Amino acid sequence: MARDKANPCEVDQEKYDADDNVKIICLGDSAVGKSKLMERFLMDGLYPSSQPQQLSTYALTLYKHTATVDGKTILVDFWDTAGQERFQSMHASYYHKAHACIMVFDVQRKVTYKNLGTWYAELREFRPEIPCVVVANKIDADIKVTQKSFNFARKFSLPLYFVSAADGTNVVKLFNDAIRLAVSYKQNSQDFMDEVLQELENIDLEQKEEELPDQEQCGSTKSLPPS
Amino acid sequence: MTCTAKKCGIRLQPPAIILIYENEMKGKSRQRIMPVRNFSKFSDCNRAAEQLKNNPRHKSYLEQVSLRQLEKLFCFLRGNLRGQSLAETMEQIQRETTIDPEEDLNKLDDKELAKRKSIMDELFEKNQKKKDDPNFVYDIEVEFPQDEQLLSCGWDTESADEF
Repeated sequence: MARDKANPCEVDQEKYDADDNVKIICLGDSAVGKSKLMERFLMDGLYPSSQPQQLSTYALTLYKHTATVDGKTILVDFWDTAGQERFQSMHASYYHKAHACIMVFDVQRKVTYKNLGTWYAELREFRPEIPCVVVANKIDADIKVTQKSFNFARKFSLPLYFVSAADGTNVVKLFNDAIRLAVSYKQNSQDFMDEVLQELENIDLEQKEEELPDQEQCGSTKSLPPS
Repeated sequence: MTCTAKKCGIRLQPPAIILIYENEMKGKSRQRIMPVRNFSKFSDCNRAAEQLKNNPRHKSYLEQVSLRQLEKLFCFLRGNLRGQSLAETMEQIQRETTIDPEEDLNKLDDKELAKRKSIMDELFEKNQKKKDDPNFVYDIEVEFPQDEQLLSCGWDTESADEF
């Protein structure tokens, strides 16, 4: 929270409180194919595809998308990292108000799978409850991996998708599922942490109000000459 | 002029790129020797390859020869000028043109990361189905059942507490 306030993001994040707006973040190591997955998904041509927005200050790329979920139009902002993932940590504002997370690794590089643990821990630090999906990308390079088990997803009961940004396998399904999860999360549950933080803020305000008269009294007593 | 490239190689002394091609008009194999000038053991192979490929005299002949192949040939020449053995040069090329799966790319600087990405892009482009391909399908769903019979990916260690 404190970090968040110290560095207000140049993106207006208030809009993510609106019913028809969701924010989905992508996480994962350098060169696992996060941006390529985004580009493949947005190749639909159904909606005019806008250019992704580069927000260099926060090292992120924003992709806008319009989806229809249960007959309702949903505005989706996909947040993609742009280099900051190298530090294996993202700025707090990246997680702020996110409704779902897409976590990607490269099936050809073990280290990117091993690092999922670090990414997941950070995600849960900021967003303990949001839906998260795990993506095994680049299956076109080695289709045999699709016959193997990856315990990370199983351990945390997260859905696992075998995809290829190159040939398109399961990319659209992955993103549509993620959008659905984000929307249903938003409709059905307030993040527990949000509630707690909100309550804490309220308590803080109440306390301050209560403290004010006390402080005045305190001040007046002090100004009195010692008896 | 139409010409079909058959083979492309390098001659070390005097240095030249040699192309075996077929002139479609006659269906006959021909050889073109393209001398390499101003190349030293300090030269940039990528730049040398680009210059040769764009040379107005050779351009049309080299259309079918990839920049990467030319770059590799220049690397052989440079290795030779540096006194490396062929095996050493081969190993160096291998190292520079493939991804070490154990390497943590998060730890690289922009330039090195861009290099790795361009190596990866090669496979990506080879397997890529583009939007304007006649058999392009936007939504491709394939089910890969994750049941208990699967082999382990080998990346999970015995202790389940690792993550």
